[in-house]
Amino acid sequence: MSQFLQATVYGLLQGCIFGLVAVGFSLVWGVMNVVNLAHGAFVLMGAYMAFELNQAVGLDPFLGVLPAAAAMFAIGYLIQRGLVNLVVNAPIFITLLLTFGLELLLVNGMLIVFTADYRSIPTDYAAHSITLPGEVHVPVGRLIAAALAVALTVGLSWFVRRTRTGMAILATGMDRGAARLMGISARHVYALTFGLAAALAGAAGAAVGSVTTFSPADAGRFTLFSFVAAVLGGLGNTYGALLGGLVLGVFQAWGGQLLPGTLVNAVAFGALVVILAVRPQGLAGRAFYASRVEV
Amino acid sequence: MRTRTLAGAVVAALVLAGGSACGSKGDAGGGSDTGNGKLILGASLSLTGSLAKEGALTKEGYQLCQDVVNGKGGVPVGGKKLNLEIQYQDDTSKPDTAGQLVDQFNDKGIKLILGPYGSATTEAAAAVIERNGQVMADAAGADDKIFQKGYRRTFAVLSPANQYAASMIQAIYDLAQPRPTTIAFVSADDGFSKTVTKAGVKKATDMGLTVVGEEYVPNGATDVSSALTKIKPKNPDVIIGSVHLAEGVAIVKQAKELGVVPKIFAETVAPPTPDFAQSLGAAAEGVLGSTQWTDKTAGSDKWFGSAKDYAATFAKMFNGREAEYHNAEATAACLALALAAEKAGSTDPNKVRDALAALDEQSFFGPLKFNDVGQNVTKKMGVIQIQGGKPVPVWPTDSAGAQMKYPGAAA
Repeated sequence: MSQFLQATVYGLLQGCIFGLVAVGFSLVWGVMNVVNLAHGAFVLMGAYMAFELNQAVGLDPFLGVLPAAAAMFAIGYLIQRGLVNLVVNAPIFITLLLTFGLELLLVNGMLIVFTADYRSIPTDYAAHSITLPGEVHVPVGRLIAAALAVALTVGLSWFVRRTRTGMAILATGMDRGAARLMGISARHVYALTFGLAAALAGAAGAAVGSVTTFSPADAGRFTLFSFVAAVLGGLGNTYGALLGGLVLGVFQAWGGQLLPGTLVNAVAFGALVVILAVRPQGLAGRAFYASRVEV
Repeated sequence: MRTRTLAGAVVAALVLAGGSACGSKGDAGGGSDTGNGKLILGASLSLTGSLAKEGALTKEGYQLCQDVVNGKGGVPVGGKKLNLEIQYQDDTSKPDTAGQLVDQFNDKGIKLILGPYGSATTEAAAAVIERNGQVMADAAGADDKIFQKGYRRTFAVLSPANQYAASMIQAIYDLAQPRPTTIAFVSADDGFSKTVTKAGVKKATDMGLTVVGEEYVPNGATDVSSALTKIKPKNPDVIIGSVHLAEGVAIVKQAKELGVVPKIFAETVAPPTPDFAQSLGAAAEGVLGSTQWTDKTAGSDKWFGSAKDYAATFAKMFNGREAEYHNAEATAACLALALAAEKAGSTDPNKVRDALAALDEQSFFGPLKFNDVGQNVTKKMGVIQIQGGKPVPVWPTDSAGAQMKYPGAAA
């Protein structure tokens, strides 16, 4: 029983990390209908920034979340303004192609700059764990990352529902034409959204970099998990990615306990298929976002 | 719009699954093996993708071989001195691409091939080599499966997969006091790692250890928590990880998170690479690793001298970095081809093949001698332990740099 409980707790923590990585991806997809295949590369850029800051000035990776997010915001804003905005009205294949190309550029750029070495941001405390009754260990690093995931999701939710800028993002996502008629600059809002998503990716990278290893080749894995978490959770809801991540994490953990360990991904993707068959819009998603028409 | 989104999703999934499926096609010039006094070797390597790190190490080993051999005037073949020229292609860590690239080399008339990094790519390349009548010196494909297909043109300089875990179990059996009684295996699910685990389980059973767990995780996983959670209640004295770097780091890291404390961790492949100790910090202390080569390996040859000389040459060429066994095995593969061409007095692939089969030479890498399926079973594997943040050879004791610490893990 304690073994199962341990697996569940660990799965929930892992799920929060999936959610943390996916929240920006889901935002961009929901608002702009752009499936950003370079998202995993953004996460890695955040991880490398936090790593370099840690090596250079000994900055704690969880504090490194802030500069990584700030720098990634600027990069994301510029990429959207100068690049993705050019094709944002084009069929989704074009934006897919563009972000895929961007991913190749970024990953190979990181390969040149940082080499293919595996890295992890060392801390004294991240691998320590709090022991709960029943011999259930809760690792500190993952707990902080999970708290960050929840905090960022709640913060993002507050931002889009309670601030003028946030509501502009929401409005543009719902109906770009109407938002424009209200005087909202879609170009700016899109760039802001993409910057925000990149910042969230950067923050996730810094946190993930301290609890696990990373190398440029991991970009695809991060994008894939973001994709699954976003689809599972559903679009059009800032809580969707976290919810999807949690479901993914727990299903993987349970699958790992009940079935041979090599089937964890089969279990997770099996769950995806079943949930999409029952609720095509995802667990918390709104069907509207999958069927909107933009003008 | 709905269908568009869905179609987009499908494309995205395909793209993610396929990664960059197109291999780069460099301009290789052309020419035969002996064009302009050159001995041209082809090397398909993982320069991007999931094995980019190990691919780069392999390339460095080949590069060092080329520079040293050419620096000493080149390979004497049939009265002429031929300079080595290695042509590289990127297989993007994909076996099918590795096979295609070997075919491309054949189309250009390049018959002598240096192996890719890893068993899966090597296995794919070996099949093509056999069909085309090329010859391959295998630097890093250790899976015994490659050599059970009756191929006659692939020769591995490295010790076979069945030795990886077995050597560490032997070291623990020889050196650990009190001797452990229980052992558990966490294995990646690729062919090489599975072969290592099967051989390790057999070895452990033969030695009288009780195998309390044999868990498999997806190749390249960074989360091995479910395997560890399953093993934890069985409280093994030894945990053997049959893994690569990502899984190897995850085992030690997550074992600490989950309170899994064996007396010692022993892992294949991962611990000898500097990234292992760097990313784990203090947690890496005491972890055992199996290695194909250390700078204390016995033997020497005319091109590279002893293992120590090789380490010095490597440090000089790569800004003081220490040579890893991945570097050394690559250089050894290149050396095997050079020695074979010299002995054959020709670059004809059939003659080089026969010379390789008959090769019996000492080298900085240990003995280079192949059995009738092309495996190097004469060479022994070594065992290292992370001590003071560095891998130190601890077994066999006659080429050890320090005593093995047991229990190893600083809990």
